[in-house]
Amino acid sequence: MSYIEIQCGEVLSSVIFIIEGELEQLPQRSAIEAHIDSCLPCTAEIAHERAMHDLLQATLRRSCNENAPEDLHEAIQRQLRAQMSGTTEVVTQFSMTEISIEIDEFGNIEHREIQIEQTHIQHFIDDDGAPDQGGR
Amino acid sequence: MTSKDLVLESAADRTIRFERDALVFTDQLYAAALRYTKNPEDARDLVQDTYLKAFTSFHQFEEGTNLRAWLYRVLTTTFINTYRKDQRRPQVAQAELEDWQLAQAQSHTSDLGKSAEVEALENLPDSDIKKALQEIPEEFRMVVYLADVEGFSYKEIAEIVDIPAGTVMSRLSRGRKQLREKLADYAAELGYSVATSKKAVEAGKKAAKSTEGEVSAE
Repeated sequence: MSYIEIQCGEVLSSVIFIIEGELEQLPQRSAIEAHIDSCLPCTAEIAHERAMHDLLQATLRRSCNENAPEDLHEAIQRQLRAQMSGTTEVVTQFSMTEISIEIDEFGNIEHREIQIEQTHIQHFIDDDGAPDQGGR
Repeated sequence: MTSKDLVLESAADRTIRFERDALVFTDQLYAAALRYTKNPEDARDLVQDTYLKAFTSFHQFEEGTNLRAWLYRVLTTTFINTYRKDQRRPQVAQAELEDWQLAQAQSHTSDLGKSAEVEALENLPDSDIKKALQEIPEEFRMVVYLADVEGFSYKEIAEIVDIPAGTVMSRLSRGRKQLREKLADYAAELGYSVATSKKAVEAGKKAAKSTEGEVSAE
């Protein structure tokens, strides 16, 4: 239960946090919740904001659903194939294992293995599209 | 798939994986590109550039993480770096962003106002919805689109657009508000009386009169 009194204005300016379910981000969260519980106009306002938000979302989703033109799908496929055939890939892998054995004064043996691996990958886009320069 | 498997994956296998996993988003990315660029020609080019960039850095993409969000990030970055450079759009002033909470509606709307707003939105044609979205500033349009059409969380949007999460919240709030104001204006032109501004009310009356005229003429 919070003893800080807040006004409707403060609740209404935090509506975005309420709609997005992120009210816990605000330090005055409990005061806002307490206010809403006892204020009918604020409760109605928030219900309206929620309804408008859902309606706006549904309206936007319905309106903004254009399909890409068929030739764009094809152009992207062609572009990828051209990229793939014109790419030389050089992979360098390095691996090393370090082993250490320690025997202490009581004769206990401690054995450690450390493995270091490094991989480096490079892509070259060939100008002429012929990936046959790797043998140099 | 571990990072070692990825390294051993051939270029051909990677292309197949990219085609299988990434190309299913072409339609979605195109619709987003239309909102970003506002014209079909640039939207086409933007989607093609996005896929090219995504493909050349696909070996860096960690499988199991959100591919769709990653593609939207590439799309957004490509748009900001390439397509917007020419226009040099002024960014939203920082001061304007900071006092966003004050700019929010701070008084209650009447029940009549509420139902009028709902009715207007339900009856607007798709073309008006798209037009209104195009007319709000780009910074707002992007986050509203990503949140309300694509359903990304505000944290995902922060990564996609590369801005702080708090800025996403403020842009989302202001963007939705501006969008609703635009839609209310269009609705008023169609004869729905959503009283957001004096101009809107007058336009509403005018539209109502002309509708009456049509009815009596028939």
